[in-house]
Amino acid sequence: MPAISPLAIVETSAPIPDDVRIGPFSYIGAEVQIGPGCVIDNNVTIVGRTTLGAKNHIFPMAVIGTTEDGSEAGECYIGEANAIREHVTIYAGANKATRVGNDNLIMIASQIGPGAIVGDHGIFDNLTQIGPGSRIEDYVRTGAYSFIDPDVTVGAYTFTVAYVRVNRNAPPFATIQGSPFRVRGVNAENLRRCGFGNDDIRALKNAFRELFNDTNGPCDAGVIRRLKKLAGTNPHVMQLIQSIEPEARQVEAQDNA
Amino acid sequence: MPDVEVTRQIDPSAKVAPDAKVSAYCVIGPNVTIGPGTVLRRRVCVHGHTTIGSENTFAEGCVIGNAPQDLKYAGGPTLLIIGHRNRFGRNTTVHVGTETGGHLTHIGDDNVFQQGCHIAHDCYVHDKSYFGRNVLVAGHICVETGAVVEDHVGIHQFSTIGRYSRIGPCTPVRRDIPPYTDFYCDQTGQSPAVRGIHEPGIKAAKLAPDEEKELRHILGELFDDETALETKIEQLEKLGVEGEAAAVCEFCRRSLRGVYGRYRELFRGGAPPEAELFLPPQQLADIRRTLS
Repeated sequence: MPAISPLAIVETSAPIPDDVRIGPFSYIGAEVQIGPGCVIDNNVTIVGRTTLGAKNHIFPMAVIGTTEDGSEAGECYIGEANAIREHVTIYAGANKATRVGNDNLIMIASQIGPGAIVGDHGIFDNLTQIGPGSRIEDYVRTGAYSFIDPDVTVGAYTFTVAYVRVNRNAPPFATIQGSPFRVRGVNAENLRRCGFGNDDIRALKNAFRELFNDTNGPCDAGVIRRLKKLAGTNPHVMQLIQSIEPEARQVEAQDNA
Repeated sequence: MPDVEVTRQIDPSAKVAPDAKVSAYCVIGPNVTIGPGTVLRRRVCVHGHTTIGSENTFAEGCVIGNAPQDLKYAGGPTLLIIGHRNRFGRNTTVHVGTETGGHLTHIGDDNVFQQGCHIAHDCYVHDKSYFGRNVLVAGHICVETGAVVEDHVGIHQFSTIGRYSRIGPCTPVRRDIPPYTDFYCDQTGQSPAVRGIHEPGIKAAKLAPDEEKELRHILGELFDDETALETKIEQLEKLGVEGEAAAVCEFCRRSLRGVYGRYRELFRGGAPPEAELFLPPQQLADIRRTLS
């Protein structure tokens, strides 16, 4: 039997696995599905068409699956083994589902907007605001008060320093800071912790020096073309170039027009 | 009239004083002690090994004594001690300590926390401080007596906020803030720095007139020009300083000794000196026993 507090309100008709715990005053809406091993603390609200994977821990006062207009009509998919801390809000997308991957730590009072797609292994510091429809790749770390605009992408392994405003697509592997942000360098510490070798980090650092050079605009398409010829060897540099190339091409086309 | 305050969950082994007011939808865990006259408004939950003194007020949605957000925390029985007469605004969160950081988060007396404040693990907040809305106090921070932290200030872990200092709104704090100073960003919201003396702070400290004069002189000298702080401290100490002025010099010297201007970084991975001061003797003995 799942340990559901008699003070919780559970409306869902979906079966609740045996090892799920639901605390007092929590509300589980009619179309919510809860995976095995989830721990839902007290005063949590989960509504809408929300699906929780296995082993998520939802802390008190979190709200999942609500929509910005207050209706409960959206879709939201949460993966496995996420920690969703106190006062976090994860909105459900009305047209496009909100998706959160696996193994994320979403800290106090963060918000994930409707239709946002969050990858795996992310750590989002307190009061991170992820805009509607934006995409966060894997292993991203955000500082406190990070503000991510709607419909932008934050590349994998990137660290956003506290108080950053991500107003355009952020490259992978970077440390970004400021409002609007600048690329300050390679997020070497995170890469090392994630098992990148010194060669990879050195190759990325060299590429970053040529591509960004602490400017706060999109990269030069000429530099990208040159690096592409040189960098055939390192797959991470190729990944970096692929992610920033479309935007650089677009800017180049606009300049030429 | 029906009793509207019945819908709440208080663990039978929690020690709640008879005249503490616990409102509807509150949840109180098993190892919690709540002192007399404390008011918990709706939806407040208190977990962990938490001791709350008398006459505190917790507004709606506070979450007190939950597990820290530190990835190294393994779920051990660490403590949160809150003193007397503190006011916690809506949605304030305070976490218990971690095993690797001294086992204790400690909040003194007469502090005010506005809406959305977060006090992380292993912090020591002394007395009479003010925290504005959405202030984020990261782990292992010491906030000394009478500090004023305005809205939306984020404080880096292991920082020390000196007594009677002020931090302006939206200022990122990445290093120690010297006592009695006013620290804020320029008009473009950049380059946070010490930009003057916090006059209300000096008034609140109620120093003797001579001591106050010397302190003002020292603060003016320390933060006035481009000479390296360390050289200036040495010059001033050669001339002889005493009382609060000497304490400010010592504070700055300690910050310089730390990592990136943060003295408490030196205690990373171990207990800070205050742990022995504030931990109850029984728990201190228990912790020593488990460590040895």
